[in-house]
Amino acid sequence: MSLLYDEGQQAIASESRRIANARADKSRLLALLEQIGAHDEPFWDMAREQGWTALALPEAFGGLDLGLVELGIVAQASGAATAGAPFLTTNYGAAQALLGGDDDALSQQWLPLLASGEAIAAVAFAEGQSPLPDRPTTRLIGSGLSGEKPGVTAGLQAQIAVVWALCDGEPALVLAELRDEQRSVVPSYDNSRGYADLSFTAAPATLIAKGRAAERLALDILARMAVVTAHEQTGGAEALMYIARDYALTRKAFGQPIGAFQSVKHRIAELYALVEIARANCIHAASRAGQPDFVTAAAAARLSATEAYDTAARDCVQVHGGIGVTWESGLHLHMRRARSLAIEQGNLMWWEDRLVSELTAHLETGQIETGAAA
Amino acid sequence: MTDLDAYRETARTWLNSVSGEFGRDARRGLAVEDDLALGRRYMATRFEAGYAGINWPVEYGGQGFGHLEKVAFDTEEMSFGMPSGYFGISLGMPVPILMRYGADQAWVKERVLAALKGEEIWCQLFSEPAGGSDLAGLRTKAVPDGNGWSLTGQKLWTSWAQYCDYGVIVARTDPTVAKHKGLTYFWVDMKAPGVEVRPIKLAGGDSHVNEVFFDDVKLTDAQRMSPVGGGFAVAMATLMIERYVATDSGGFGPHLDLFIDLAGEIEVGGRAALDDGRVRSAIARNYAMRSGLEAITRRAMLMMEAGMVPGPEGSLNKLVAVRSRQRLSELALDLQGNTGLAFDAHAFVKEDWAASWINAPTGRIAGGADEMLLNTIAEKILGLPQDHRPDKGVPFNEIPA
Repeated sequence: MSLLYDEGQQAIASESRRIANARADKSRLLALLEQIGAHDEPFWDMAREQGWTALALPEAFGGLDLGLVELGIVAQASGAATAGAPFLTTNYGAAQALLGGDDDALSQQWLPLLASGEAIAAVAFAEGQSPLPDRPTTRLIGSGLSGEKPGVTAGLQAQIAVVWALCDGEPALVLAELRDEQRSVVPSYDNSRGYADLSFTAAPATLIAKGRAAERLALDILARMAVVTAHEQTGGAEALMYIARDYALTRKAFGQPIGAFQSVKHRIAELYALVEIARANCIHAASRAGQPDFVTAAAAARLSATEAYDTAARDCVQVHGGIGVTWESGLHLHMRRARSLAIEQGNLMWWEDRLVSELTAHLETGQIETGAAA
Repeated sequence: MTDLDAYRETARTWLNSVSGEFGRDARRGLAVEDDLALGRRYMATRFEAGYAGINWPVEYGGQGFGHLEKVAFDTEEMSFGMPSGYFGISLGMPVPILMRYGADQAWVKERVLAALKGEEIWCQLFSEPAGGSDLAGLRTKAVPDGNGWSLTGQKLWTSWAQYCDYGVIVARTDPTVAKHKGLTYFWVDMKAPGVEVRPIKLAGGDSHVNEVFFDDVKLTDAQRMSPVGGGFAVAMATLMIERYVATDSGGFGPHLDLFIDLAGEIEVGGRAALDDGRVRSAIARNYAMRSGLEAITRRAMLMMEAGMVPGPEGSLNKLVAVRSRQRLSELALDLQGNTGLAFDAHAFVKEDWAASWINAPTGRIAGGADEMLLNTIAEKILGLPQDHRPDKGVPFNEIPA
């Protein structure tokens, strides 16, 4: 896989950008912020129509047999438009869990529904403050799942969840069907993400993987979702850079466009550096899926994309001055999304630790490698 | 394996074969003059081996390859620490521009060959006390003198001038027009009467840059390399000529692996530094930044291989990598506590954190200060307005000094 997009990938990039922008509606997104539990339905309908849900799934299950590179391209366009529904990422993560397990019946049952977008899936790994705890407290006993999973993205809408749990004293990946009484809404600063606390009490669940295999699979799934999200963050950061640039070209103060002042133009030029570094890391990481260095590449993409989006959100508002902090300007849509995406798929500190563990693995040969350990 | 990979492989094999004689270990502890002499021998050996002027025309003694092969070789060479730095500017800018604009081509070919073999070195006499980032503000003047010119003034920050045989220079030939329009471009014999070179000792202790004084130095009109008043365009062409250069995501300082090795040997507050969150964060952020720059470089190489023009993001390397090298070097010294006070003024910048730290500011200023690079990104890439320039269009001799 190359670092250069081929013609087909370039076509996906321009078409997804075109359609995401054409369907973007700031007032609709602003309204969603004040509705707890709603998501951006027009975006999700569009994603399904366009086949984005099927992009990275195998043809045998109704997918288009493309991969993380193409899904990343679409995620970048979605991120630029602060497009709503988070299911593009969560469905992909859940599908990777099914593909990584060996339960054909389960795959036959759910993958076609995930490919078409008829079903929505959540990925519930985190507990407490840890995105992927070494020893989860959620337990699978027999076929009954018990435990708590806080702040699960798409938890409000999902029919199924891939859950990180403990089974016979070993880590395990488990598929659980969700019922309404198992979820409670989490009011958030980014309300269209469908955040819910999930609570299981001897809920029916199916084992996907266990032990070392489950650890490897969970880390791979989290890294893949992080790469999709990193593309989304990069798209958002780039959009903010251009919004700041356009405003600096039109807004005048002291007799000239504010973009002629170095304090302003250098701030925007610094964003360019962050965006291009994040973009290059994203393309690199997407091209390394399935390779031994994938987690390292994903971590680099994740860290640089989070830094780019957070910084762009901060600085774009600053360049706008007072108008930037109004509800109406909508810049806070990006500011909110920059933070929610920074936490979904593992926060900055977790990924920093993960990356250093990968880079220093050769120095720690005396220790038992735990894979999922932070 | 692509042709380029094969080329790189062969180059690496050759570099390995001569690294015992010329590489970092052979240079350790050498005085500058001895190191330069070793460098001249290295250049002659490199010429014989067919790795000189890789992307230059064969008729000038080059190899006739493209930018890709040159960048590939330079990247490999960098890791061996060969003594080629004395010739970097010479072969990077003045000599290529001489090939393009030199009037007497037979004489030019002699100079090019001598430069490729390390027998002669050229410097670039652009910056002045009154003109660094603002190059067109320079004050050295050339006035008509018989059939030629008389050159008087002062240049500053001229790298390796004390060892140079020739230089290219921009001088003011008409102070009554706007500053960019009154400049003319010449080459100059650095051994000519009236040329005086005074080395400047830098903060890190070395003296590779110089002040150069010109006192009524005679130039023939054949030494002129631009139309009279057309020197600024040739100066810009000189700065653009090395568009594709070997980059280093470490900002030409130590590799991140060396920082990880250092941290692996150190304790902070009674536990391993590698378990300290601040240290881990610094490693992770640096790695993410460097891997991004490396992906940008690899993508640019792939684009060139495919016959495309790489994007402008390649220009980020110097801006981003050098300042982060500066901070990482500070942290590396800090980590060592009192044991980090030791200093060896002759240590290699790519191996030693103190040497890297003390010399890092030069990297953020030379060849385009960070602030100028940010201006270029803002103006040329993002389309933001130029700064307010009160001297725009004003005749040079009416600009308040």
